[in-house]
Formats: sequence, C-alpha cells, structure tokens
Amino acid sequence: MESNFDALIIGAGISGMQTANDLADQGLKVLVVEKEPSIGGAMILLSKVFPTLDCASCITTPKMSAVKNHDNITIMTLSHIKSFKREGMLFKVVIHKEPRYVDEVACTGCGKCEYACPVLRSDPFDFNLGVTKAIHLPFKNAIPLAAVLDMDYCIQCGACTRVCPVPDCINYLDEPEDIQITVRTAIQCTGFDLTPMNAKAEYHAEDLENVISPMQMERLLAPHGPYGGILRPSDGNLADSIAFIQCAGSRDETLGIPYCSRVCCMYAIKQAMLLSGILPLADITIYYMDIRTFGKGHDQFYQNAKAMGINFIKAKVAQINAAENGNIKLRIEEIGQNGGLREVEHDLCVLSLGMVPKNTGNNPLHLAIGEDGFVASINPKTSPTLTSESGVFVAGTASGPKDIVDSIIEGSAAAMQASAYLQNLNISEVVQ
Amino acid sequence: MTKEKKRVGVYICHCGGNISDVVDVEAVRAYIEKLDGVAVARKNMFMCSSDGQKMIEQDLKDGLIDSVVVASCTPKLHQGTFRGALSRAGQNIYLLEQSNIREQVSWTHTHDHAAATNKAKQLVAAAAAKAEMLEPLEPIKVKTVPCGIVIGGGIAGLRAVRDLSKWGMNVVLVEKSPFLGGRTAQLDHVFPTKEKARDLLDKLIKEVIADPKVTIYLNSQVIDGGGSLGDFFVKIEQTFRGCTEKYDLKELEDAIKDLPKDIKNEFDYGLSYRKSIWMPYEGCWPSIPAVDWENFQPEDADKVNGSGFEFQPNKEIIEVRGGSIILATGFDPYQPAQGEYGYGTIPEVITLPQLVRLMADDGPSNGRLEINEHPVRSVAFIHCVGSRQVEGINNPQPDGKVNNYCSRACCTATLQAANELKERYPDLHVFDLYQDIRTYGHGHEEYYQQASKNQILFLRYDPLNPATVRPSNGRETAVSITVKDLLTQGEEMELGVDLVVLSVGMMPRNIEQIIDIFKLPQGADRFLQEVHPKLRPVELAVEGIMLAGTCQGPMDITEATAAASAAAAKSMNILSQEYVYLNPYIARVDEDLCTGTGLCIEECSEVNAIRLENGKAVINKTICNGCGMCVAVCPNDAINIQGWTIPQYKNMVSKMLIPAQELA
Amino acid sequence: MTKVESSYTPNILLLSTIDCAYPGADWAGQMHMDHYVQAFNLRVPSPAMFPEEFYFYCFEQGFDGILIMSCGAECPYPGAYDRLAKRVDHLYKMMKERNLETDRLRLTAICTVCAQAYVKEIEDMAGNLKTLPPIKKALGDIPQGVN
Ligand SMILES: Cc1cc2nc3c(=O)[nH]c(=O)nc-3n(C[C@H](O)[C@H](O)[C@H](O)COP(=O)(O)OP(=O)(O)OC[C@H]3O[C@@H](n4cnc5c(N)ncnc54)[C@H](O)[C@@H]3O)c2cc1C
Ligand SMILES: Cc1cc2nc3c(=O)[nH]c(=O)nc-3n(C[C@H](O)[C@H](O)[C@H](O)COP(=O)(O)OP(=O)(O)OC[C@H]3O[C@@H](n4cnc5c(N)ncnc54)[C@H](O)[C@@H]3O)c2cc1C
Ligand code: SF4
Ligand code: SF4
Repeated sequence: MESNFDALIIGAGISGMQTANDLADQGLKVLVVEKEPSIGGAMILLSKVFPTLDCASCITTPKMSAVKNHDNITIMTLSHIKSFKREGMLFKVVIHKEPRYVDEVACTGCGKCEYACPVLRSDPFDFNLGVTKAIHLPFKNAIPLAAVLDMDYCIQCGACTRVCPVPDCINYLDEPEDIQITVRTAIQCTGFDLTPMNAKAEYHAEDLENVISPMQMERLLAPHGPYGGILRPSDGNLADSIAFIQCAGSRDETLGIPYCSRVCCMYAIKQAMLLSGILPLADITIYYMDIRTFGKGHDQFYQNAKAMGINFIKAKVAQINAAENGNIKLRIEEIGQNGGLREVEHDLCVLSLGMVPKNTGNNPLHLAIGEDGFVASINPKTSPTLTSESGVFVAGTASGPKDIVDSIIEGSAAAMQASAYLQNLNISEVVQ
Repeated sequence: MTKEKKRVGVYICHCGGNISDVVDVEAVRAYIEKLDGVAVARKNMFMCSSDGQKMIEQDLKDGLIDSVVVASCTPKLHQGTFRGALSRAGQNIYLLEQSNIREQVSWTHTHDHAAATNKAKQLVAAAAAKAEMLEPLEPIKVKTVPCGIVIGGGIAGLRAVRDLSKWGMNVVLVEKSPFLGGRTAQLDHVFPTKEKARDLLDKLIKEVIADPKVTIYLNSQVIDGGGSLGDFFVKIEQTFRGCTEKYDLKELEDAIKDLPKDIKNEFDYGLSYRKSIWMPYEGCWPSIPAVDWENFQPEDADKVNGSGFEFQPNKEIIEVRGGSIILATGFDPYQPAQGEYGYGTIPEVITLPQLVRLMADDGPSNGRLEINEHPVRSVAFIHCVGSRQVEGINNPQPDGKVNNYCSRACCTATLQAANELKERYPDLHVFDLYQDIRTYGHGHEEYYQQASKNQILFLRYDPLNPATVRPSNGRETAVSITVKDLLTQGEEMELGVDLVVLSVGMMPRNIEQIIDIFKLPQGADRFLQEVHPKLRPVELAVEGIMLAGTCQGPMDITEATAAASAAAAKSMNILSQEYVYLNPYIARVDEDLCTGTGLCIEECSEVNAIRLENGKAVINKTICNGCGMCVAVCPNDAINIQGWTIPQYKNMVSKMLIPAQELA
Repeated sequence: MTKVESSYTPNILLLSTIDCAYPGADWAGQMHMDHYVQAFNLRVPSPAMFPEEFYFYCFEQGFDGILIMSCGAECPYPGAYDRLAKRVDHLYKMMKERNLETDRLRLTAICTVCAQAYVKEIEDMAGNLKTLPPIKKALGDIPQGVN
C-alpha cells in the first residue's frame, strides 16, 4: 500500500463517503479508514429514508460503490487511528488494522463459509434481532464484499476452510497490523451513537423485550430485515398497537443531554408511516413534547402522517412498565384537553433515542470537544467544519446531531475547506 | 454508422426481494435468454453490489457480450453505477440500456404476480432490442473556463466566493444591491454564538475584497445567460452607483443634509425613513453611498453639497464567463397580508425582523423599545406567521398556494428576541403563542430553557383555530388577542398587550428572470429545487449550477454557509479539471441521406444549432440540446438523436408486444 | 364502426419524457400505486422527435393506444412542446382520414411528482380503449397502405 496521501478520512458513513468522493474528484489522493468490516455507516442500516421514502440501501450503495471504484481512494476497514501527530506541514499517522481472518482481496463474497459454519450468534448488523454465524458476510451489499470471522465465537473447527473455494483465503492465524502513513489533511467523520437504551431507569427498557430501539425498528422495516415482517421480539406475534416515545434520551438535562437530536421526530414519523403501510389495522401513537419537522419538505411529511391516521399525543412519558402478555404499560402525563396522568397499554414500543457522540474517548485526532461531547467547531456560524487543529476538519454527526442531507452537505463543505487548505500549504515545506 | 448488431448481456436484479417478491425473476431470465441477439442472461440479488457489477465486467472482459441491459430499478438511481462497470471492463459506457422493473413493475403491480412477470418480460425484451442497436458514443469535451460565478452577496454567497478564491480560483460575484451582506447585515447578534452579525460579515468581506482573484459587480442584475457545464456566460447589467468617492456616514450626512428624508428605509423594514442617497449602516461595504435612482428626483441633484457625485443613472453591460454558477439569492421575510393578525391596520403589530431592527443599537429607535410612541409593558409573539399554513384556514399566496413549510429559523430567533427583551426589561410581560417550539439546532434548546426561566408564558394554539388580534379600543393595552390554549384545558384566553410580534417565515426572493434564463426548477414551496433532496442537496438539475443558502429553503446562517461551502466544493469538482464532458445525446446527420432541404434548420430556430455547409446540414455540438425537433421533420430520415434513434425506438416497439403463448 | 364494450386488455404505449413524466412514473412506483398493467413506458428526451409515421408504426405493431406524457409547459426544450401539440393535431386529422378513433392518442403533461395524474391517465385510457375494438381489428377494417 502507498504510505503518502493527501487526505485521511476517518469514518466511512455518509459524511465520510461524501468528503472522500469530493476530494478525490478534485484529483487528491484519499485514504478512508473505517473501523467496521464494511463502509456505509448508519445509513446502510436504515429501511427507507425521510422525507423521500427512498430505499436506504438503494441510495447508499451508489455512494459506497463510487468510493470503492474511485481511482484516487483507498479504503481500509477494521481499522482505526492509533496515533496522529503533526510534523511540520504533515501529519504522521499510525493505523491499527484488526485481523479479518479472511483475505479481503481474494474473497469472492460467495458466502459458502457462512453456510458451513456451525456457530450461530446474534447479528450485530440487525442489532441482535437476527442471527448470523461466526464467519459471515457483514451484509448483502457490503463493501468490501468479503467475509469476516469473529474470533470471539470461532471454534476453529475448519468447516469454513474446507468449503471456501479460494485457497488460503481463510487464515485463523491472521494478526493485527500497525501501518504508518503520512497525510497532509484529515477529516473526522466518526458519526454518532444512540443514547443507551437504559439511560432512563424509569423506562425499564432492559427488562422489557418489546421495548425496542429505533435502529431495531429500522431493521424490522427493512426489505430484507431479520424477521421479514413486524413481529414482536418476545413472542413473534404481529404488533397491532405501537407506541413511539419521543425525546427518549434527548432534551433531558437529567441525562446530561439537553440538546435536541434533530432526527428522531422525523424518523419516528417515517417509521410510523411505513408501519401503517405494512399493518394497516395497527394503532400507532407518537407521544411527543414538540414535533420538530423543520427540514425541507418535513412539515408536509408530518401533515401526511396525520392524514394517514397516525395519532399524535402531546405528553410526557413518566414510566414504562410490563403489562400482561408481554404488553407494555405507559404512564403518561398528557398535556391539553384530556390532560392529566393516565396509563395506556401498547404491545410494542419504540424509544426514539437521541444522538450522542460515538463512544466517548473516541477522539483519535485530539480535537477540542464541546460541552455536549461532540467535536467543536471553532467557527460555527461561517465555517462549521473547522476544528481546533489547523488542517483537520469535521463533518456529519461527529460534530452534532444531523440528518443525512445535512451530513452530506457538511461532507462536501469539509472537502472544500480541506482542499482550499491544501492549496495554501507551502509545497516546499511539505517535501522536506 | 455501424449497422452490425450487438451481442447483448441481460442482467436481472432481485433487489433483495423488492423485485423478486412480485416478479418471477428466473422466468424472466429464462425467457430473455432465448431471444435473438441475447448472448447471456443472468440474475443477482443486488445488481448494484460489487458482486453484481463484477458479473457484467467479467462477461465483457470474456468477450461474451458487447452491450448490456440491466433490469432493475429506475435508471435515475444506478445509471452511473452500471456505466462504471462497463468502463472498468474497457467498454464504451453508452452501450448500456436499463429496464425499470422495480418502480414501474414490481412496485406498481404488486397484486398480480403473473401479469407483473409478463410485463417484466416485455420491457426487458424491448430493452434488449434497443441494446442490440446501441452504438458507442463519445462525450463532448468542453474546455472549462477556470472561473466560478456567484450570484448573490449575502453570507452564503460570500462564503462560496471566499472558498473558491482561497483555493486559488477566479471568482465573479454579482450582487443586486449596492452593498454586500444581504439579510445578515440586518441582524444584531446571532444565535447561538451571540456574535455580532456584522463581525461575521466584516471578516468574510475583508477576506473577499483583499483577494485579487475576486471581481465584484454591485448594483448589478443578471439579464441574460447561457452556455453549459464548464462554459457558462452571464450578461450583467450594472447601474452606476452615482457616487465616486469614499465617504463615511458622517460626511455623507453633511453632503446630503438638504435632501428630503421621505423614503421608507427597507433596511429597517420600513420602520424608519432615509434619503435618496444612502448607506444602510456605518461600516457597511462598500462605505460609499449609493443613489437610489428609483426615488431620486432631478431637483435632488441641486441639493447635494459634496463633490464626487455623478447623477447619471448610466448602465453598463458586462459579459462574464465561468465554468460553474452558484446561486445565493437568499430570502425575503414573509410579508403578512393587510389585516393578517392586525398587521398594517394596528400600528402595534410588527414582524420579528422589524423587532430585531428596533432592538439593534443602531436601529430606528436607537435600541429603545417604543411603539407608536408608547412604551411597551407587555408583548406577545405569534409563531409560524406565513409558515406551516393550512389550506382552507390561511389565505393563499398570489399563486394560490399556502406556505405549508416550516421556516425553521424563526422559533430560535423568536426566543432569542423574547429572552433579550425580558433581560433588558425585567418587568415586561412576555407571551409566546406557538404550535411547536423548534429549537432543534446546536445551542438552540438553551434559548427555550432560558425562556422558561425568564418566565415567558407559553400558550399553544391550534393551527386550525389561530389567534385573533384586535385593537383594544380604550383598554389599558393597545391590542387584545383571543386564543385557545392547548396547554391547559383548551380555554379561550384573552390577552391584552402593548405589542404583537409576528414571527414571520421565509420566502424565496423573486428571481423570476434568472429562473427563466437558466430554466431552473422550483419546488411546490417556490424555493429552488435541488436535483435529489437526499443525495445531491446543493446541485440543480441544470448541470453546473449549484445552490447556496436560503434561495433553496429556510436555513440559519450555519446551515447557509455549510451549504455554500458544499456548493463551492461541487464547483471545484468542475473548475479544477481542465475539461468537462457533456452528454453526447445530440443530433447527428447521416451525410449519405441528407439532401440539404434545410427543413431542420427552420425547425431549430429557437436554438439555432444547425447550419448548411456544402449542401449538408451540420450540427453545432455544444449548442444542440438534443430535443429532436429536427428529427421529426426530415423527409429523408437523415437526422437522429444519438442514443435515442428512431430505428432503435421502432425495434423496441416491435419487440414489446410478445404474443401471449410465447410469454407463457 | 360500432363501439362495443369488450373484455380484451388493450396495450398502451407511453411516451414519457426523461425530465418529467418518467420520474412521475417512478414516483407512482415509490408510492406503490397499483394500476393498469398493460401500459409500457418508453423513455424519450422529447416526444417532439417522433414523426407522424412513427405513431402509425406503433399502432400497426399492436398498440391500441398511445399516451404522450410530455412535460407540458415545463418542457426544457424551447419550442418543442408547441411543435408536439401541432403534430398531435395533425395526427388527429390523419387518423380521422384513416378511420381510426382519435381516442387512441392523447397528449398530456405529467410532472415529476404527478403520480396521481399519471395513474389516472393510464386508467382512463385503458377504460376508453376497452370501448373500442382492438387495434388489429380496427386496422384490418381499413384499406392497406396506411403509412
Ligand atoms: C433510527 C434512525 C433513523 C434514521 N432515519 C433517517 C432518515 O430516514 N433520513 C435521514 O436523513 N436521516 C436519518 N437518520 C440519521 C442518519 O442516520 C444520520 O444522519 C447519518 O447516518 C449520519 O452519517 P455520519 O456519516 O455522520 O455518521 P455514521 O453513519 O455514524 O458513520 C460514521 C462512521 O465512522 C465509523 N467510525 C467511528 N469511529 C471511528 C474510528 N475511531 N475510526 C474509524 N472509523 C470510525 C463508524 O463505524 C461509521 O461507519 C436516522 C437515524 C436514526 C438513529
Ligand atoms: C428575524 C430573523 C432573525 C434571524 N436570526 C438569525 C440568527 O440569530 N442566527 C442565524 O444563524 N440566522 C438567523 N436568521 C437567518 C439568517 O438571516 C439567514 O440564514 C441568512 O441571512 C441567509 O443568508 P443568505 O446569504 O442565504 O441570503 P440573504 O442574506 O438574503 O442574501 C442574498 C443576497 O443575494 C442578493 N440577491 C438577491 N437576488 C439577486 C439577484 N437576482 N441578483 C443578484 N443578487 C441578488 C441579495 O441582495 C442579497 O445580498 C434570522 C432570520 C430572520 C428572518
Ligand atoms: S427531534 Fe423531536 S424527538 Fe428528537 S430530541 Fe428533537 S424534539 Fe425530541
Ligand atoms: S421555526 Fe417555529 S415559528 Fe418558524 S415556522 Fe417552524 S415552528 Fe413555526
């Protein structure tokens, strides 16, 4: 592999992919470092996207392919930044690559190993709703499309190596590797995590099987999701009364998350609309504080949802408890005409979790962090992608909650700032 | 023209069930495989995956096929993907035809699997019929003009200009008004950073004007334009500003002290008056006064004492060329209709932008809160005026539509103003009538929390039953508001206040002329419409023209400048390359058939892309837009649009209607 | 010729513009709007490119009706829509001369989000065509040498 690049991009979600494509289109040499076995980030996991209701994998795959097929882009998966130091006009970077135990280039992605593997384990791609094997393809349209072996589950029985059509492709002795490179600029696109399910103790989400995360709902709604339908995790029954609880882990000072996560109103409405298409008889209710459908075309989307018969109730959900048959009891304080405390029952409940910075401590480039834990911009009004380190930029949800469009816009904006920065670097200094 | 038929490879996609749940993909494949001209027919779970693309590449490399049919989703989605596969296999990318069996088959005939499968067979057969007649085409190469054109000099336009020039690119900035800065200059300090709006502007403007790569045309209108990706031209009409020397505000006041001050000052949204020679504020750029020709009377000239004025409204026409265009023409605040919530009939009803001017230190009342010469003891804000409108409840705009979108910046701007009022005048009673509080942005929610701490009283109104505003007639307060509050038991409340502030939304500025010239698409909300709302948010359908800021939809400054940088990046993708490539779907003349009737030339009068040379029609390749009007009138069938020829269409039509017994 | 309500399934050719009607059709797909099956889209830059003769060719090939789904006023090509409208008038005349029902041809404008209109046009045309004899029969009724 080359060891000199113009730009390093950390994280290959939609914002990282956009940044990479724009820089590469301008003729710069780009290295993309992604810690997961495939590029694609959160977007490739979604069912459909608001407000267009495009199928998420249909519109993510072209971007992924473009990154993969671009002559100026190199991708490293299962990798993260071990060290990052400025030296003059350059950055010296050590990248730590975890073993895949499969030869990424040689693997044809045929999936025979996955069929042969005897070890079943829960599937992280489906947020543990479904199952996969110890060796498996990350998902159908992964890039690179190569199997990955999870040593934590592997019993080294040799079943996979026997069926693999490519000689020496699977290697139980694969080792981690540290790779040194130099780059001239870097863009952090490390994305977001969801507020933990158990953040609010009074929601008892850990004990209640039918209280699920919004990402699990996305997977249930995806065309090739784990159950092939909307079934309750506890008993596999069709759900017919579904609740969404908004601001579950946002706008809550007691959690240290005072901010609004911007996307949860929209994704809940989207999921509700998709659900009502699949389960026309189901009763769907969204409990909210304010409906924040502020984006282009978003308020119209909200109006459509109301017209489709989705219930919107302005209420605070104080507690979630178990009811009979795996059902869920919400203690709500409704605001308005029917105001007051009361209890309502549903059989499936989605916590509309907020966005928090990707696992705290994930600050590979040592950038200044804001009070909210996200990478801080030093010029938030007129150059939102500038960070505390000159030559290092940030894009997408790494700097705060955002939807896909806003993440893409920032990806391009960061690319612009980075390429303008590179144009102004003194070339002679770079050479020495 | 090669008349030899191509060997066709057909690839049918399951789309992970999207197609195969309805269409029997194997049946389609088996049927297509038997057709004349089809060399291979294959299927895949996701044709767009690397795996699927590799199938195509391999067959091409193995020499099994010459041209490709992919039967999958709409070509809008993956044309680029599949062209990439052809190109990697060393094949001309135009030897691709797509058949849309998802959007137009499996998704629209969900309940009749047999009929859907038959239709898929028919459509794929037609695509194969076209594919066997495809020819390799070469894109038209245009040398890029290394210059970006930015229209609109608000914060978004300035950001885009600065990004391009910092990269080292030439930039032309066209601004309609005599001053830079747009609406941001009218703000005092900005949420959530509390920076002075003008500090933000000054910094950008300083960098922009210091850069020799930038040429600025003020007081300028776009009157014509054309060209295409890589080489656009824009004709600008610049009006002389009437003043040649640099003045500061003080000197200017002296020079024009005898002019009547009777023109409503748009900078203060009509809350103050100005003269016909003016500057919006101290420190504006340029700090050179401008004559407002529309309001300048001939006799005014005699009243001006300073030198350096020239009272001739001369106009100059300038033509500039550039490889890309960025539109940053911004927004207008919604103008409430006469009488809407008492606006225009009750002097104590104003808009939020007006309040922002009133509260600014250099505003019309020097920052004192005074309305109609009364001090203000209580104020009510009404959200979503001119936004989130409901058909049948709100009066439509002149085009018959209501503004059903959210203007997104007004909630935070409202609470910022409300908090500030409360902090300046602790005794003031502040009411806030809203539907939803949308303080979504980074650092915005704090304003909402602060508002509660400041004891601002929130009332939630029903958009189907909005508040009414009347003069109080003799009561203690000037205005009285009736509203049903949904936060309590839906009680009807009567509020008496001294001031009502309407939180008006954003509307796009009127840029009909530019829209006409470049044939730009607008959405139902009248803002300019990007080509793909998810994937290509700053590009227009007209290639090479980009969008920045609030001409696209409501945004705050952070969002507008991010979009501007993104638009600059997209421009740089074009400008940094020596050549761009235009699609080759243009007319081509078969010289053997052409007899020089000239009928095509007549037909092409609007575009003028055809001329006669030595008795044969000749096409101007960069002008021809590929409409094909010439094709229909040629008596010799000598013209066709490359890639879309009549013989290809006929072949498709002839293969489409397969007899039922064959389908079975 | 007598108009008979028949149960055959007419074939409809849709000439859909790349810029407007074709995306409109895609939109109908995205909304999963089920509709009449035997309607086939051809993607065209502008239907103004087709000479009169092309339409008769399509009828002969067995299309019972042709729906031109243009961009209407939104047409991106200057002058093309006017030319198209004139050509359709001319076609009506030619069809009458040849004893073909003019209901078999219709010029409409469909925008990129006109999913509803798109579906309605197809359903309406299918309904109308069912009251006419199949095109093969209609053409059989008239003398040879149509084009
Ligand atoms: C339930 C749900 C539904 C949603 N639905 C929609 C929708 O319909 N429409 C919409 O517009 N938005 C939606 N969103 C928002 C959307 O998912 C995000 O806006 C978008 O995915 C953000 O992209 P990103 O690139 O910023 O981050 P991510 O997608 O999180 O990508 C970050 C990438 O960086 C990698 N990474 C992290 N740390 C490191 C490291 N140290 N080294 C290397 N790599 C690293 C991660 O593995 C990941 O691949 C939804 C969000 C949720 C939670
Ligand atoms: C009351 C109020 C308060 C606000 N407060 C804040 C705040 O505190 N913080 C914040 O972030 N945002 C705030 N905003 C939003 C902010 O004002 C906008 O985001 C920002 O001004 C948008 O900038 P722009 O460059 O897109 O448009 P504009 O500022 O409108 O600039 C457009 C420019 O284009 C020029 N132009 C127009 N037509 C043409 C033409 N045909 N040819 C050439 N030039 C043309 C115009 O003259 C103008 O200079 C507020 C908005 C309002 C209404
Ligand atoms: S987007 Fe909606 S659900 Fe999410 S934090 Fe904001 S208000 Fe709450
Ligand atoms: S931002 Fe607030 S005031 Fe403005 S339109 Fe949206 S909801 Fe209404």
